[in-house]
Amino acid sequence: MSAYLISMSTFVGFFMILALALNLQWGITGMVNFGVAGFYALGAYTSGLLAVKLGIPVGLAILAACLAGMSMGAVVALLSMRLREDFLAIVTLGVGEIIRLIVLNEDEITEGPRGLRIDAQPFGTLVGPELYPVFYLGLVALCVVLTYVVCESIRRAPMGRTLRAIREDDVVAEVLGKNVFLHRVCIFAVGGFFMGLAGALYAHYVQNISPEVFMPVLAMFIWMSVIVGGAGNNRGILLGAGTVMVFLEGTRFIGDFVDVLDAEKMSALRIILIGLLLILTLRLRPRGLLPEPKFRVNSN
Amino acid sequence: MSLQMIINALVNAALIAPPAMAFSLLFGILRFPNFAIGGYITVGAFAAYTFNVVFGLSLPLAAAGAMAFTALVVWGTHIIVFRPMQEQSAITLLVVSMAVTLILENVIRFFFSSDVRGFDIPLERPWKVMNAHITPEQLQIIAWSLVIGVSLHLLLAHTRIGRAMRAVADNPMLAAIRGVNAARVTAFTTAVCGALFGLTGVFAGLDLVIEPLVGWNLTIPIFAAAILGGIGSPYGAILGALLVGLAEEATILVLPSTYKVAVGFVIIAVLLLLRPQGLFGTAEIKK
Repeated sequence: MSAYLISMSTFVGFFMILALALNLQWGITGMVNFGVAGFYALGAYTSGLLAVKLGIPVGLAILAACLAGMSMGAVVALLSMRLREDFLAIVTLGVGEIIRLIVLNEDEITEGPRGLRIDAQPFGTLVGPELYPVFYLGLVALCVVLTYVVCESIRRAPMGRTLRAIREDDVVAEVLGKNVFLHRVCIFAVGGFFMGLAGALYAHYVQNISPEVFMPVLAMFIWMSVIVGGAGNNRGILLGAGTVMVFLEGTRFIGDFVDVLDAEKMSALRIILIGLLLILTLRLRPRGLLPEPKFRVNSN
Repeated sequence: MSLQMIINALVNAALIAPPAMAFSLLFGILRFPNFAIGGYITVGAFAAYTFNVVFGLSLPLAAAGAMAFTALVVWGTHIIVFRPMQEQSAITLLVVSMAVTLILENVIRFFFSSDVRGFDIPLERPWKVMNAHITPEQLQIIAWSLVIGVSLHLLLAHTRIGRAMRAVADNPMLAAIRGVNAARVTAFTTAVCGALFGLTGVFAGLDLVIEPLVGWNLTIPIFAAAILGGIGSPYGAILGALLVGLAEEATILVLPSTYKVAVGFVIIAVLLLLRPQGLFGTAEIKK
């Protein structure tokens, strides 16, 4: 049971990093990214392949995964700057799917649907196997804190106000002399960096990655985390990611009480519940559980 | 390109043209890309399956039943989910529509499991035309798709409600001032689109297989066709569907067929970058 809790918390950590990164891109700057699963896959496979096939030290491989995510973010942002946001949604979803298809089909490199086995673990030799899950949870928690601090400082800094201005009306921001283009590319790249980090952490945790994990439905869960938590509010995002994961995982326990349902029915029921959670939250609290504080001007 | 590939492309196009037109119409009224169409198509396929295999109705009757049922589902989702959220941003609605697809798909998975199914119809030998094969079902899909294209044109161009649909899509406020009952027009549009999605489910069941993901797999080609034709232009959607069908078949010549899914995305991306209003759409003035 405690092993299960530790593993679930570790997964919550991955979700939190992804959701914080998406919040930076969409919640704060207003740039849509439905390719979250693709960035996650890119991070996981970059780190995994570098460690397995080239024997590069894990620390460096993880860093390379972050940089891969960052470059990918910059490229996607550069390519799609002219698009309306709802079309950007479809294009980024496509980028994610294409990454998954490449991983699936180029199986001479990625092992495709058989799954890529990754033995290398960060600090794997220093920590004993019985303590390792707890250690890894600590490592993931550290990364969540790091991501949170970076995202929150960007939000609080003068730059954060520029980003929110871009979100609300990019023409106004441009008129005020802000370099909208540069800000957008940078923020998309920073978001990509953290998504790559989450992917790498995931890869070295599960130690066996295969393309079916990186389906668009994963991007959906991250989007739900951001919307349920409250777009624009980093603390809300942590709450949202936790809530979505509890719904995804916690509902497994319903199976223990209702034994008439087989595994397939249970998994269907879980996804139905997650969908209803999103719709209900938006109906009852349209701006999320912890909404972004309204901008106020001191009147006196 | 062989005759067989052209036939395959035509069947593909006939399959995605009606839902692409419906998607275009829905976008005109609701103003966000509705990912729920995948779920609607799946509902159509399984409703037809239930009428045909479980209740033993003939396929045309089952198809009519599926169209009515899907129309009801699409209208119901609009009333229960989308209408109360109108003030949300297009992106939030898009995420909600994805959630709707997930819910519909998984309700179906819950009751029917993920097994692959087919209709209860006699197996017919494909016809052979100059070394190319075409099944009678595929020919029917092409014929019906043409009938739908023409009827939709007649509806939009020559009836009172069709004119009202175009008016609301063009400028809802102006339409309201001129006395168009927007709620009734929206209800009618969702029902018509729902019937088209239901029929697409039937066609998909005939030409592909019936499984919970059947609608999701068609979603991107449908989007590509609608965007290619210019969003909000139902006629453009027909030509868009033809081009997507041809492009998908042409890809198989150079890439493994597993990459076929990516074609729709690449078409969308390239087109949006070069000509964001689509081939036949008019550039929208951003206010």
